[in-house]
Amino acid sequence: MDKLVAQYSRPPHQNEMYSEQEQQDLTASVPPLSLKFSLPPVDNRSAFLRAMTDDHSNPSCPIKLAHGTTTLAFRFQGGIIVCTDSRATAGNWIASQTVKKVIPVSRLSRGEDKKTNEPTPGLLGTMAGGAADCQYWLRYLSQQCTLHEIRHKRRITVAAASKILANLTYAYKGYGLSMGTMLAGMTPQEGPALYYIDSDGTRLPGNLFCVGSGQTFAYGVLDAEYKYELTEEEALNLGRRAILAAMHRDAYSGGFINLYHVKEEGWVHHGFDDMNPIFWDTKLQKGEFSNVTSAL
Amino acid sequence: MNHFPEAWGRPRNDVYGAYDHSYLQTSGPKAHTSSPAVTGTSVVGVKFNGGVAIATDNLASYGSLARFSDVKRLRNFGDKAMVGFGGDVSDMQYLDRLLDSMDIKENYSHHGNMLNAKNLHTYLAKVFYKRRSEFNPLWNHVLVAGFDGQGEPFLSSADLLGTTFSAPHLATGFGAHLAVPILRRKFPEGTPLEQVSKEDAVEALKECLKVLFYRDARSADKYSIAVITKDGIDLKEDEQIQGQSWAFAERIRGYGAQTA
Amino acid sequence: MTSLMGNHSGTIGYSFSEPTSANVKQHSFYPYTDNGGSTLGITGADFAILAGDTRSTSGYNINSRMVPKVFKIGGDDETGEGANIILSVVGFAADGNALKEKLDTMVRMYKYQHGKSMSVGACAQRLSTILYEKRFFPYYVHAILAGLDEEGVGALYSYDPVGSYEREQCRAAGAASSLIMPFLDNQVNSKNQYIPGSGEGHALVPKKAEPLDKETATKLVKDAFTSAVERHIEVGDGLQLVIVTREGIEEVFHALKQD
Repeated sequence: MDKLVAQYSRPPHQNEMYSEQEQQDLTASVPPLSLKFSLPPVDNRSAFLRAMTDDHSNPSCPIKLAHGTTTLAFRFQGGIIVCTDSRATAGNWIASQTVKKVIPVSRLSRGEDKKTNEPTPGLLGTMAGGAADCQYWLRYLSQQCTLHEIRHKRRITVAAASKILANLTYAYKGYGLSMGTMLAGMTPQEGPALYYIDSDGTRLPGNLFCVGSGQTFAYGVLDAEYKYELTEEEALNLGRRAILAAMHRDAYSGGFINLYHVKEEGWVHHGFDDMNPIFWDTKLQKGEFSNVTSAL
Repeated sequence: MNHFPEAWGRPRNDVYGAYDHSYLQTSGPKAHTSSPAVTGTSVVGVKFNGGVAIATDNLASYGSLARFSDVKRLRNFGDKAMVGFGGDVSDMQYLDRLLDSMDIKENYSHHGNMLNAKNLHTYLAKVFYKRRSEFNPLWNHVLVAGFDGQGEPFLSSADLLGTTFSAPHLATGFGAHLAVPILRRKFPEGTPLEQVSKEDAVEALKECLKVLFYRDARSADKYSIAVITKDGIDLKEDEQIQGQSWAFAERIRGYGAQTA
Repeated sequence: MTSLMGNHSGTIGYSFSEPTSANVKQHSFYPYTDNGGSTLGITGADFAILAGDTRSTSGYNINSRMVPKVFKIGGDDETGEGANIILSVVGFAADGNALKEKLDTMVRMYKYQHGKSMSVGACAQRLSTILYEKRFFPYYVHAILAGLDEEGVGALYSYDPVGSYEREQCRAAGAASSLIMPFLDNQVNSKNQYIPGSGEGHALVPKKAEPLDKETATKLVKDAFTSAVERHIEVGDGLQLVIVTREGIEEVFHALKQD
């Protein structure tokens, strides 16, 4: 009888409090970077997300996410050059001019603000597309890389690390992630290695990549001057010059030039420099950008 | 992901389908789970020296039809607090059941019902927020009146999205446009509560209800009013708006068949 | 992970299949609203300030003139006593509240379980993760977190709605951010300021940004808000100023114009 009553009656109200799982999540002391994401309870989630956040299709969409823009990396005889701008835009609003779009991946390089000039071992990741997507997933990746180091007593290869990331982005394909990232590193097994990974799940090894809305401008400069035999000095200057061109011509790129060099012993930071003086130096000393007037 | 520079990083139409503006619209075709059917209009409340007064009319409308003329929209939570409901009446009844069962459960515990109006408001706001996050909202805008933990008069609002705010005087729905300016004029913000008497507060609420009855087409002249003081709740549920004067209607021009 | 793929493959078309058309209209429920208001933070060598106006709006209505936007995180009780981190949220107030409560709970749990207070850097990373967990159904908020770092230097972190974050000297968020931020760029980061007489034309030497003292920063905050109130309808009524120093957290309220 009780069973029948239970079957055909329902409580006057549902449980409106937190579920047990939610309470446990709140009290967990060291939660891992989670793969549990709360999803909008609608039929077509990615369409909902897009309606809220796609600032290109609808410039007045309610939630504007920070986006990153021009990044480049190329291999040459002396290692890999990684160079980016530093602008983040949310719609037409410049959300920040000081974004660090080169993100060190793996435990050993966590001391990002290390004072020494010694090369820091580990990989470098770059950030284009959704700033939060890149930050979160590159952090997730460095967690996996650290675990790899602990389990196997040696550093992860760039090929393996990039595959972890690509498998992830492929798993979330269609959800609405937006990231175009490059992984650069040098390992004894591979030598200098460079991979491009994006939120469609694409993963490509290569010598030279430019990613972001300013990619075409950077490619223009880079393709004209690039050769594998560049000296270190030439390579650094070329990376800087290509980003400068993109900052000048692409409205969504600008701010500071962030330059890194990946060598056998690890990566070296070559400055986070305001583009404005560099631009005027390039114009006034070297006579480039002759379409721009120097009259004030 | 779009790789062309002008829309770099954004979703592609051929993958995600065209951008769907309908998610941003609040009007349009309605599903019964997500829009109200039988509704109540404004709730108004004022704090005064030593308590809170809160009032609603007794009407439940079905669209433009004045469907039920004797619906009590002030509900008590034990003898601690009053909740005034605007919005969907079925959701109001659901919430009333929820609060009643909570009151009963609390009273079975050895300390009795210790929850005050502030606790109740926090709880209701969380219920609203949880349901909006499930896209299954409780379509109400409520005012909670009573006392907080320090024994000070408490008046606060919560709506179907879980938004909360508190002020010395509050009104929901049409009242936010019509009643709040009256209350702000009578009791300017910054007026110490000691200078607002119970009689003034009740009088002000009655005036607000009258103005609302004049101008809000979904309102009625039968109303409920509750005065919450330390002595308990004084609830009157069958009141009638007194001293109506429609003389102002003479002066309205621009509608109907007037010629001048 | 595989289940995640399986879940979704039906609803999304790829370039090699028929494009999906906009779905039949099913939900008219819009889960967000904008409660207006603005927040701003400035840091210096030994302090951090977070400030916000206290107006809450919906549309052209003013809901209330006294709804604080800056909260103490990780205090011992509901007054926030014992906290050393502060958080400001602006945007959709209900989301902001939910976010604040979640972070507050987690920082407190950390204290109980580890026997020490969470550092502001760790808290900043945690907040980023909390925001990103709702990547596909975002919190509609712009958060700013502030406190003192391990060296006692003012630390301020600003966030986008889904958790990308950055440590900065100053940041304005919310309705009037586009009015306040350029002012801060100029006054706090000395952008576009040059040393007079240091040269002609391109040779002018830019002024270097120096950390501000507490009094100057407080004045800047007040100026920023009184100016924003003049030009933005969603900002006004009251100014809540919360200042973290080594001595603790100090909170003051100032009046703003109520029109």
